[in-house]
Amino acid sequence: MQRRMSLAGTTGVLDGIQAAAVPVRRRRLRLLPYALLAPSLLFLVLFTYLPVARVLVESLYDKPHGTGAATTFVGLGNYAKVLADPAFRQAALNNLIYAVGVLVPTIVLALAFALAVQRSTRFSAVLRTVFFFPSLVPLVAAASLFFFIFLPRVGLLDYYLAKIGLHGPNWLGDSDVALWSVIGLTVWKNAGYYMLFYIAGLQNVPRDTIEAAMIDGANAWQRLRFVILPALATTTAFVVVIALIQLLTNVDHVIVLTRGGPSNATNLLLYYIFQSAHENFEYGKAAAATLMSVAVLLAISLGSMRVMERGARGNG
Amino acid sequence: MRIGRLGLGALALSLATAAWPAWSQTKIDFFFPVPVEGKLAREMTRLVKLYNESQKEVEVVASYTGSYDDTKLKAQAAAKAGKPPSVVLMSANFNVDLKLSGDIISLEPMLKADETTREDFLKDFWPALHANATVDGELYGVPFHNSTPLLYYNVEHFKEAGLDPAKPPRTWAEMVDAAKKLTKGDRSGFMMPAGYDYLGWLMEALSMSNGGRYFNEDYGGEVYYDQPSMLGAARFVEDLIFKHKVMPQGVTEAGGVSTAFFAGKASMVLLSTGSLSFIRESMKTPYDVAFVPKNVRNAVPIGGASLVMFAGQSEDSKKAGWKFIKWLSSTDTLGGWSRFTGYFAPRKSAYDKPEMKEFIAKNPDAKVALDQLPYAKPWFATYQTVAVRKALEDEIQALMNGKKKADQAVKDAQKKADELMRPYAETTSLKLP
Repeated sequence: MQRRMSLAGTTGVLDGIQAAAVPVRRRRLRLLPYALLAPSLLFLVLFTYLPVARVLVESLYDKPHGTGAATTFVGLGNYAKVLADPAFRQAALNNLIYAVGVLVPTIVLALAFALAVQRSTRFSAVLRTVFFFPSLVPLVAAASLFFFIFLPRVGLLDYYLAKIGLHGPNWLGDSDVALWSVIGLTVWKNAGYYMLFYIAGLQNVPRDTIEAAMIDGANAWQRLRFVILPALATTTAFVVVIALIQLLTNVDHVIVLTRGGPSNATNLLLYYIFQSAHENFEYGKAAAATLMSVAVLLAISLGSMRVMERGARGNG
Repeated sequence: MRIGRLGLGALALSLATAAWPAWSQTKIDFFFPVPVEGKLAREMTRLVKLYNESQKEVEVVASYTGSYDDTKLKAQAAAKAGKPPSVVLMSANFNVDLKLSGDIISLEPMLKADETTREDFLKDFWPALHANATVDGELYGVPFHNSTPLLYYNVEHFKEAGLDPAKPPRTWAEMVDAAKKLTKGDRSGFMMPAGYDYLGWLMEALSMSNGGRYFNEDYGGEVYYDQPSMLGAARFVEDLIFKHKVMPQGVTEAGGVSTAFFAGKASMVLLSTGSLSFIRESMKTPYDVAFVPKNVRNAVPIGGASLVMFAGQSEDSKKAGWKFIKWLSSTDTLGGWSRFTGYFAPRKSAYDKPEMKEFIAKNPDAKVALDQLPYAKPWFATYQTVAVRKALEDEIQALMNGKKKADQAVKDAQKKADELMRPYAETTSLKLP
């Protein structure tokens, strides 16, 4: 950030000098960046900002399904309706449990994997592939696989549990267990992917600092806790942001495995939005719920970006 | 995100279809789902090709649009984008909602142009299908393929437990008795799918077998969840799990139930007649089928899909679409599709054809399913069909997980359903002069 600001400062000064010297060339120069940006801006506006604006407008109107009533402006009425809907509250709570439940083990595993395979030996190359493999499987395919793993009594999981004399629960059919089964699948799916970021992050941890810590007599745990982890703060902040976005925007496995059931126990926000719009004809409510989810995502992203900037400043 | 992608897909599709020259032929879009991918989609494509080659006026462009739910979504998205499909094979219990939302059109004008009446047109279709084909007294859908729930049972388990496989349980009492004898170790005497959609359908079967109706087939704003017929059905399910302990606790999806049946972990299962071909091909040990056991009377809900036409198309397109519907719902086409898929043919006359008689003789399990058809009743279709159904399903799932008692569950389900249907009631039955 600092670097960017100082750069901006220099161009400003340069612009000033050039403005006095060659005004025509300057104008052309000023247009050029916009011309270069135009294609992507156009698509960004068409396919991102315009739909957002439309959803915003749609969230303020209500057209009761099938009653012949006209579309009416209801202000924040849809938002109030969504917030009062127990199904929405449960989806929001589920999403929170799901996010924390996935995030913590995923990050711990990703870091552990990265530490285990960071040296480039032939064995760790194999291990990297093994850890990364679940990320290559599309979520829908992974969910279809886990359908058979989770099958009560005949599934793979219960088969092996039975070998050690344990009796598994109804993994996806018990409303107390189902969300945790979905969490388990997601951790399995994502940990290898975030490992990649940590491997990259670990390459940037200065060797000298680690060696200095070793000379000072720090043991492996202390080196991790006081040298490596602080140096990885930026990576972690980044991983948290993309993970949270993923956790709010991916519901493929919920659709394949439970469709939000039993009794809404695995219903997540995006699936709730889908149900409102496409099963229940409540477009206004769906739009309001969408905007609220996007607002939460934006807040999280902005917060984490600040952390990242701070990290970058600390490093640089 | 998902919506955006669908919109794009619809856009791409409409661009692709718009690029073709029209000539004098009328080109129409036909969207169709198939619950089982691959084989069935190819057969449908073959049928459409056959139709296109059989005449010159209409050219049908068939698009496979995924599951029932996806098909509804894609058809609505295409209509919103100004390019409605002419004909769609739609899950029959969406018809009320789609009529109310103005997505599909009445087929009465086509009947009139053909100088026929609804009664005449529907005469050859099984009586149970009439309610789902009509909304507010007008024809909106032409039945295409149908199914009902059916009891499948493991013949070897029956013998092992000292039961006669030639005499499957006919009543709830006999079923409980058999299930108790069949339950052994980690083997369940009875199982039924309890995921969304399937559970609503099976609860309808149980409440109907208990003398009930589940919903008001003439008016979209009423369901009978807290009535004795449904209460009894809910208590029955509760007892199967917690009192008789013949069914595992919690929810099992259809795939889990059929797998358990194949693996010998469930002796009796309730599944669709639409699964007949699948079970015939996958089951390694002998099995047989029977009517859904009754408590008060024999009755099962019908399920399936019908052909509907979307609003917003030109007169030419409507004419062409109707022509195609008539061909697709002809006795011969329906009969062939039925033998290929295992679904019922909705026309009674399809079963008078020699090739059908031969098929039934070869597959006695299909005969049992057919014999149950006269007891079939309409599939629930109300205002907010999916949400109203889910209101019951969420409660029954809670009951199956031991979180709620049957009496409370049906009461809560009724309350939620009434809330959902309230806006419709307000503008119809509660709107007084």
